[in-house]
Amino acid sequence: MRATRAQSRSYSTVLKTMLLPAGYSVERWSYTLQRVTGVVVTLYFVLHVVETGNFIGGPGVWYVPSKDFAASYYEQVKELLHNPIFDAGLVIIGWMVAFHTINGLRLTLAHFGITLGKPTRVDPESPPRSFSNYQRAIFWASIALATFAAVYSVDALFGVLSG
Amino acid sequence: MKTVRFSVYRFDPSSDKKERYATYEVPYKTGMTVLDGLLYIKERLDHTLAIRYSCRMGICGSCGMTVNGLPRLACYTQVKEVGWSLKVEPLRNHPHVRDLVTNFDEFFKKHKSVKPWLVRTDSREQESPTSQYLQSDAELEKYIQFSYCISCGLCYSACPVVSSLPEFPGPQALALLYRYLADSRDQSRSERLKIVDEAVGIWRCHFAGSCSQVCPKGVDPALAIQLLRREMMRG
Ligand code: FES
Repeated sequence: MRATRAQSRSYSTVLKTMLLPAGYSVERWSYTLQRVTGVVVTLYFVLHVVETGNFIGGPGVWYVPSKDFAASYYEQVKELLHNPIFDAGLVIIGWMVAFHTINGLRLTLAHFGITLGKPTRVDPESPPRSFSNYQRAIFWASIALATFAAVYSVDALFGVLSG
Repeated sequence: MKTVRFSVYRFDPSSDKKERYATYEVPYKTGMTVLDGLLYIKERLDHTLAIRYSCRMGICGSCGMTVNGLPRLACYTQVKEVGWSLKVEPLRNHPHVRDLVTNFDEFFKKHKSVKPWLVRTDSREQESPTSQYLQSDAELEKYIQFSYCISCGLCYSACPVVSSLPEFPGPQALALLYRYLADSRDQSRSERLKIVDEAVGIWRCHFAGSCSQVCPKGVDPALAIQLLRREMMRG
């Protein structure tokens, strides 16, 4: 029998299955968020190291630049970053880092079988034991704490609450 | 009379260049399942429609398909619980053969690779047994839930990791591996652990839990995989 890979492996189906958790439980949403935040935070981290390097020592950060050059570069980068768009980006990164960390702890606990229910006689009516209340509570806690981190960053960067 | 609208994925690789969706109106009957609707279409409206089924009672696991975005057993899904307008597509993550029929070769290869049977080292005792293998309730409960798997492939189709990494063994094979590992009669613990301790093995599971959500038998493969992982950590 000839099998075809049409649709089953088309990019759009793969992307849909990977990135669209619609119809699935919060565990699937957590999977998508964990992946997306992981990729974005990693990219941010690379840019952050490069940009901080430039900020501190200019492109000659790996050798000692002349003081004047470093000073002028410092000013340029400072001016570039002094922009609400970058600040808003930092708020999002703050949310992502907090979510990824706490949700990651939840997944690590699951790796050790901690916080999961026990296998039992089958009862198709009750929800899967792996979707335990502890696991769900930690997931929602990660969302709450991430949101808190974002609010905190908004306040720190834009001074909304403290005026 | 109330009718149900079926929008069905159609694709025949021997004649079609592109997939399409054909729409059929099917009269509703109380208790009608998705499979009933598809059989009505095949018998009365369009007999070229290809579907696979056998038992019609959620036992054989051959009628898996994607109904309104989620993998389900067509014979086990009441039209009423999904809606009056249905979009029926083949299972994802399995290569398509024609229309709603998918190919399970890869799936069963992975299934077989985890040795889904009891392994014993006492061959003489096996040939002429001198006693029974009694298990306590507690021993039974360690694995009984996972032994209800009917290999319908719904979990495999829902898994986002299989989707992006086709070499991943998938929830069904991993859960079955744990089912035999957790059985007090099995004697191949270390070999079993080695089978999936691979670069593209159990560690690729990210606990999206979709397998457990769609399992029509309440098997909870996500739980089995996490418990298997715990066993691997223990060595
Ligand atoms: S036809 Fe056997 S499970 Fe649906």
